[in-house]
Amino acid sequence: MRALSSVVAFAFVACAHEGGYEPVVSGGDAKRGRQAIAELECGACHQIPGVPGAWGRVGPPLAEYRHNVYIAGKHPNVPDVLVRFVRDAPSLAPDTAMPAIEMSDTQARDVAAYLYSLE
Amino acid sequence: MPSFIHKPRRKVVLLAAGALGLVVLGALSASVVLLSGAYSTAATTQHFKITHRLLDAGLRFSVRSHASGVKVPDLAREGMLERGAACYRMHCVQCHGAPGVARHPAGRGMLPIASSLAQSAREWPPEWLYYVTRKGVRMSGMPAWEFRIADEDLWSTVAFLTRLPFMTHQDYLDLHAESADFSCRAPTEMRHDALHGDVKVVFRQYACHACHRIEGIVGPKSRVGPPLVDWPRRKYVAGVLPNTEENLIRFIRDPQGVSPHSLMPKLDVGEVHARQMARYLLASE
Repeated sequence: MRALSSVVAFAFVACAHEGGYEPVVSGGDAKRGRQAIAELECGACHQIPGVPGAWGRVGPPLAEYRHNVYIAGKHPNVPDVLVRFVRDAPSLAPDTAMPAIEMSDTQARDVAAYLYSLE
Repeated sequence: MPSFIHKPRRKVVLLAAGALGLVVLGALSASVVLLSGAYSTAATTQHFKITHRLLDAGLRFSVRSHASGVKVPDLAREGMLERGAACYRMHCVQCHGAPGVARHPAGRGMLPIASSLAQSAREWPPEWLYYVTRKGVRMSGMPAWEFRIADEDLWSTVAFLTRLPFMTHQDYLDLHAESADFSCRAPTEMRHDALHGDVKVVFRQYACHACHRIEGIVGPKSRVGPPLVDWPRRKYVAGVLPNTEENLIRFIRDPQGVSPHSLMPKLDVGEVHARQMARYLLASE
């Protein structure tokens, strides 16, 4: 796990521009992600800029999400982990209050892409 | 006609007088704040937000500019990550903490607080990390590590830092265990190249000025050790040895060896630096 995550991480760092690490979700589309977030009602629990009605205070606010260092305080905030987490949080953080949410792999990628697009 | 010439000049004079008045007023009010003791130097009094943001931005701009010429070597070489982890364990975790690992007590109440490096390493390119690690940060607790860590291992530390944002607690513990046999190398003679030509930096990096007042070196007015001013007129080194270059070097390198029970500790000063110091002192008028 460590070796793998280090290799993945290093690949990301190596291609990051001067401003630092920029997470990019392969196959994710931020525009579709915004739509998916509205449909899946993520805003019931999270504050999400750009999504009407997303004012929830149950979970943490998701503004500037790509600057967060960790996901759920347990995992490095990198695309592969986030894609998994938005869809099946309990598999990565068994004690989390966030439920698994039914969505396709594409939807998960889109959602992650949108979250990473937030300034 | 004359009014045509005089009016603008009068304006300039008035403006200059006004500006001068403002400067004087500013200096006066600053003096009042300073002398009254109203300004708090307590580490419990945080900077204003604007001051904090300005210091942050200043650091960023300075580092960006100063690190621009730095060439990053291959950071994936064998053993680099483990060596970097060893350096981190030895010199960094105390103030910066690690994933799931608390800072030592001294690192918790610092002002400014030492940054969480998982964040810094996520946002800063390797050359910035190298520069800050090597040179330290003035007016913070961050020393210039180039004097304690060999250059290769400054880069090992950077190699480690670039992975840090992507480590879980368990990753960190695993690496900690895997790197148990690695050590962080010190520079052979405290980066002699970097110090060459500026003996004042040499004195400061061995903390000489913490105890001695030294001719030409800005520092606290310390009286722990004797003042090192007007040194050529002194007859003895530590009241024991005749004041010659060689004796001075001997004492600087091994105070208690020369003078048992001396309260001056051995600071691992190398031959080259001891000679630089001795010559500087013996040349000071």
